[in-house]
Amino acid sequence: MTRALLLASAVFAAVAAAHERARPEDPTFGVGPFAPEYTPPAPGTYALPVIATVGDHPLLDSDGRPTTLFAVKGDRLAVVAFVYTTCTEPNGCPLSFAVLHRLDRDLAADPALASRVRLLAVSFDPERDTPARMAIVRRFHAPRSDWRFLTTRDETTLGPLLADFGQPVAKLRDADGAWTGLFRHVLKVFLLDERNAVRNVYSTGLLDPALVLNDLRTLARR
Amino acid sequence: MRGRFGFLAAAIAMLFGGGVPARGDETCLSPYMPKITGQEDWVYVWTLGVEGLGDGSDKLVTVGANPKDPATYGKVVSSTSVGGRHEAHHGDFTEDRRFLWLGGLDDSLVWVFDVASDPARPKLVKTITTFTQDSGGVVGPHTFDAIPGRMLITGLSNAKDRGGRTGLVEYNNDGKFVRTTWLPDGAEYGYDARVQPRLNRMLTSSFTGWNNYMTPLPKLLADPEAMKRFGNTMVVWDFHARKPIQTLQVPGAPLEIRWALGPRHNYAFTTTALTSKIWLVEQQPDGRFAATAVADVGDPAKAPLPVDVSLSADDRFLFVDTFMDGTCRVYDVSDPHHPSLVHEQRIGRQVNMVSESWDGERVYFTSSLLSGWDKTGEDDEQFLKAYGWDGQRLTPRFAVDFAKEKLGRPHIMRFGQGQFYRNQLYASAR
Repeated sequence: MTRALLLASAVFAAVAAAHERARPEDPTFGVGPFAPEYTPPAPGTYALPVIATVGDHPLLDSDGRPTTLFAVKGDRLAVVAFVYTTCTEPNGCPLSFAVLHRLDRDLAADPALASRVRLLAVSFDPERDTPARMAIVRRFHAPRSDWRFLTTRDETTLGPLLADFGQPVAKLRDADGAWTGLFRHVLKVFLLDERNAVRNVYSTGLLDPALVLNDLRTLARR
Repeated sequence: MRGRFGFLAAAIAMLFGGGVPARGDETCLSPYMPKITGQEDWVYVWTLGVEGLGDGSDKLVTVGANPKDPATYGKVVSSTSVGGRHEAHHGDFTEDRRFLWLGGLDDSLVWVFDVASDPARPKLVKTITTFTQDSGGVVGPHTFDAIPGRMLITGLSNAKDRGGRTGLVEYNNDGKFVRTTWLPDGAEYGYDARVQPRLNRMLTSSFTGWNNYMTPLPKLLADPEAMKRFGNTMVVWDFHARKPIQTLQVPGAPLEIRWALGPRHNYAFTTTALTSKIWLVEQQPDGRFAATAVADVGDPAKAPLPVDVSLSADDRFLFVDTFMDGTCRVYDVSDPHHPSLVHEQRIGRQVNMVSESWDGERVYFTSSLLSGWDKTGEDDEQFLKAYGWDGQRLTPRFAVDFAKEKLGRPHIMRFGQGQFYRNQLYASAR
């Protein structure tokens, strides 16, 4: 991720967020900043045990076509990030998008690995992150690998998907109960193997593109 | 009873030239977990049952902690028994703070409470009865440290000889076993495990096995052979690979580990129970770690028995509880190589755990160490006490007498806040 792209990503998020209402009382939750200062262990030198398995769920692709998680993912390894495009929390979705972008460029440089991997950005804001909006985000990132931008029809189809992955998301509301346009969520990105088993979960403090790439290479060696 | 504890101190001092454990607070939570940076609404207290007191069972007690709600402030809001006594000890939230996992050191049971649905009244939703079987023989689930999607649990012992060899056990957030990693040869004892994600390093510390921690303290201290079976090591791990890469000699049972939180603060603190010292574990220019004793806690010859510690979010103050004299000492550790004692406060006749709010303004204490190690008679005070901290002194705010309330022996504390759980898009009870 270049500085320019990080900046562009931040500006994109900020402009989008400017249309939303101001934050309610300052959310009283925080996680620390994260800048990796290590070299990740080499691919294949460590184990990634199965943590859980996930089921299939209905999605919409960025052309508005109904599809499902398994149909999109196929039998590839996948990096699945739950995001919303107007997120302004630097350690939240902008970080997810930045990492996916970096992974996309790294995969493009490794065609053998890229042929086995899909990147999936799945929105948990069906109201505003329509397929058309996801298509705009897709154009912004101009993927060079197999990177899909997905959303759901509504909260009814979204709920079971979030529950299956264990991805809590809450709407931040004003004292009067009105939605502020913001969500509270614990950043999570999931590494799925070919059989839809979760092999790692990354949040702030683990979401390091070099680490994710080595995990993909570890799984791809089998 | 004074005579008994005078003897204990002398015995410990004799054996180690110089004690024992526990933990908990917002600043020491898993780095992967959202922190409550404002006012906590509740303190959850994992409490050991006492025979003949109330229902006699281990229980999770919820105490109101928000002064804006005078109806609940400083009062017991709810209490849920798990049935029986299991040596209730430590526990922690999953990484999304929705579930509180709690362990029993005696029979290795693990209870999972849903705190998200009604944070004032946590509900028991799962009991893991197969911890030892799942893990291939680990006994005594101690530290619960959330990592994304799963819970890392340190053991204290093993099923084979109930000594100190033990391992690190991982479950997913649904309570399904994932894997066990045994501590390495030469450093086989376990206690705490804490991760510094920025460095991809995990530190583990070492205590003693079931045979010792389930033995009444006077009997244990009278057994010189048993007293040799305490851990004297810490292990530095490649966290992502779960591989031990370095063993550090830290004599005298290093217990709670607190990584500094500031950028470029590549160090952690621990205290040794049996030798009464504060240790600095610091990364060196070559990337390896070194452990150095940087201060005595009280007079080591009197074996004050440092137990829980808490490091403030700005890495400035280290709160150190000593069980025997019931005292909290506050050190300025701005220069981590030279801790400077800035305050000393007697909390009670015995004190164990200390939990500090993220903003550093409130500090909570509980009294119980282990059922067989707590003091007896009138010295066996059992309490949760809340204090204010202004950077110079601790000022009492409220206290709950756990004996008078017929609750038991209060141990680890965790903070809850209602706002965090509102308006969830799904209400799954994973």
